[in-house]
Amino acid sequence: MTYAIEVEKLRKEFKSYSSRSGLIGAFRDLFTRNYKIIRAVDDISFKVKQGEMVGYIGENGAGKSTTIKMLTGILTPTSGKVIVNGMNPHKEREKFVQTIGVVFGQRSQLWWDIAVQESFRLLKKVYRVSDRDYKEHMEHVIETLDIGPLLDKPVRKLSLGQRMRCELAAALIHNPPLLFLDEPTIGLDVLVKLKIRQFLKEINEKYNTTILLTTHDMSDIEALCERVIMLDEGKIIYDGSLQKLKQNWGEGKQIQFQFRHEVTKEQLISLTNDLNVKWEAGEQSHSWIAHVRAQDMAEVIGKVVAAYEIKDINIRETSTEEIIRNIYEEGIVHG
Amino acid sequence: MAKYIEMIRIRFLMMLAYRTNYYSGILIYSINIGAYYFLWSAIYGGQSSIQGMSATQMTTYVAVAWMARAFYFNNIDREIAMEIKEGKVAIELIRPYSYLGMKMMQGLGEGIFRLFFFSVPGMVIVGLIFPLQLTTNLHTWGYFAISTLLSFMINSQLNLLAGVLTFFTLNGEGLLRAKRFVIDLLSGLILPISFYPEWAQQLMKYLPFQGISYIPSMIFTESFTNDEILQGLLFQAVWVIILVIPIQFLWRIAKRKLVIQGG
Amino acid sequence: MFYISIFFQYMSQYLKTKLQYRADLLVEFLSDLMFQAVNLIFILVVFGHTQMLHGWTRDEIIFIYGFFLVPFSVFASFFNIWDFNERYIVRGEMDRVLTRPVHSLFQIILERMELESLLGGVTGLIIMAYAGSRLHLAFHWYDVFIFILFVLGGTLVYAGIFISLATISFWSDARSSIMPMMYNIGNYGRYPVDIYNRVIRYILTWVLPFAFVGVYPSAYFLGKKEWYVYSFLTPVMGIVFFMIAIFLWNAGVKRYRGAGN
Repeated sequence: MTYAIEVEKLRKEFKSYSSRSGLIGAFRDLFTRNYKIIRAVDDISFKVKQGEMVGYIGENGAGKSTTIKMLTGILTPTSGKVIVNGMNPHKEREKFVQTIGVVFGQRSQLWWDIAVQESFRLLKKVYRVSDRDYKEHMEHVIETLDIGPLLDKPVRKLSLGQRMRCELAAALIHNPPLLFLDEPTIGLDVLVKLKIRQFLKEINEKYNTTILLTTHDMSDIEALCERVIMLDEGKIIYDGSLQKLKQNWGEGKQIQFQFRHEVTKEQLISLTNDLNVKWEAGEQSHSWIAHVRAQDMAEVIGKVVAAYEIKDINIRETSTEEIIRNIYEEGIVHG
Repeated sequence: MAKYIEMIRIRFLMMLAYRTNYYSGILIYSINIGAYYFLWSAIYGGQSSIQGMSATQMTTYVAVAWMARAFYFNNIDREIAMEIKEGKVAIELIRPYSYLGMKMMQGLGEGIFRLFFFSVPGMVIVGLIFPLQLTTNLHTWGYFAISTLLSFMINSQLNLLAGVLTFFTLNGEGLLRAKRFVIDLLSGLILPISFYPEWAQQLMKYLPFQGISYIPSMIFTESFTNDEILQGLLFQAVWVIILVIPIQFLWRIAKRKLVIQGG
Repeated sequence: MFYISIFFQYMSQYLKTKLQYRADLLVEFLSDLMFQAVNLIFILVVFGHTQMLHGWTRDEIIFIYGFFLVPFSVFASFFNIWDFNERYIVRGEMDRVLTRPVHSLFQIILERMELESLLGGVTGLIIMAYAGSRLHLAFHWYDVFIFILFVLGGTLVYAGIFISLATISFWSDARSSIMPMMYNIGNYGRYPVDIYNRVIRYILTWVLPFAFVGVYPSAYFLGKKEWYVYSFLTPVMGIVFFMIAIFLWNAGVKRYRGAGN
């Protein structure tokens, strides 16, 4: 089995300068400066198979972008091993980047002043794509992303959603087997998001393209990725299937009770003290939310309904968003 | 007023934060003054005085012109142009201060920084290497201080003017570059105004540029008589007042345009 | 071969962009012309007060200035990356450049090229022709090739210095305000170096070798035999300084920290 990405004990450290306060401090900074070493990525290891779609998630500053930049050859690692598409990204940069596509959601890859198709033509040359391959591949991409009508417009005239679709197409001009997407859906509306997800799935199926995706939008991950790698303070805290993550962490349900009269938390706790229930105040008055395990659900509802007068009951599953939040809040790793 | 002083302080700190800039700046200024010194020595050759200035006066003129430049020079024209281009000016406008006033203060913060950490040590170094004629006359120093402050005002006002002008042009960069060349030439930085042919000198009397470098440097080298000093200071002060008019006028139009277009 | 085809591809994009902003082009021509005029005026005014500059006549100095404009304009058209720090490091454009399969410096040079500056070279040729005819300089057929060689050498010297300066951004958080000051120092290479003292002559010859973009190569055409050795060193210095710049660049890219986030 060959892997698209192989990372072993990868580490990246930055020197971070801190300034002394005040004028005298600033003057002293002219001659000597305080700095400390910050470990942005801390000895992480993982492997990604060809054709996998992996969600790479973490809070701001967890080290996602730094990892991606090392995987794409932009940054040199402090230590550790990175093999991507069988190459060391930084050592053989120019040869290596030929085999990857990169989209930075917050940064344009296209030339601001010229028409989209001119950018495409330039990139086609840069990536040495033959006319035949370009035609065969890009016609399909352009059609699926529905950017045909945008091609003769300069990039600065495009809306964010239009630009993002063009960015994606630009990253695929050389039909790379591996695609890095850094927050590709940031700031986009739902329709564009859906279109982009649809497209990524299609590419993945058609060409067996490996996709590594960072995002803050969990619905992206749910729609696309079977596997997630979760990062916290530069370390991997979870690496496995999204399914399992949900099972381990999200097996519980939330039951929202809307009571007719006022009920206190103590009353509810004493009512259900033989069961594992966590009570939390709801947003409306007289409303309480019970976090319970699935098997206890019926019993809890039974007890509450028998004891108090109820206006409304609502049962929800824990969303991935909440699962992730819980993990970060508790900071515990469950394999 | 406190907020403007705070702005000066912040700028001061910002300047201190870039230390590579600081070190290389001192080095580059020294090389510049050094090269100019020799260039002028060669120009003087055997002559003891040109246009009433001795070689030593000329050297002092060059050194002080460059050191004063460190004080009055700033990039607020570029900053304004950049902020206009990126649409940041609209945000600045909702802040509770005068935008242009704030830019002036930033420039002053930079200027004071360079004056203390740059010009003063630089002048000491240059004074040790080259024969300069530093006057002991306190009046001259006083006049020079006033004149330099006024030259800062004129230069910053011209920068504001150029910066605001970029709002109405497509290519701000070219405009600002052209402005820099004009100021280098006509301010007296590279050549004392008295060296120019008579007709050019007459023409420049009607332009504000010699208030930037020529007048303070001539005061410092004591090449001006008392009358000339007072005339020079008056010339500078008048231009400071005159320049307010086009700046305010253009800024008002720009603001109106900004409100309508939304940046 | 690949790099040449990429070059022309970028060039055609560049022309398309420029033709969209024709008014800009005019402003740029004018500001270039202004820059050239300022220096010429300096020379003219100075020689209104003196006949000789350390044994060099007015026309010789003007000739040097004309020569200087040619390599300088080639440099300004292709290697003028003075805003590298702000544009590529602070704004993170370098990230994008590094994900493309072409050498990063080459890409940046292509993205920043400003062909309109080549017009300055034409001005330079005119100034040289004017000064040369007043000096009654004799030209041989092979001088054309030597001229091209010296121009290339001078261009590489300039490019090497400015690229090396740009690479400081990889190591330090410095803003790029030293670049404009550097242009001033470049001017001193246009005067006979024997007017300076040892330190400055040494700097202009070996450290920031701007003299190889002005007085040294011009000395050959002016028939100043005592400077011939330096004249013919021009292409060598160009290659050496350009190689140093590329070496520093490659080392710098390894140190690149990425922008912000």
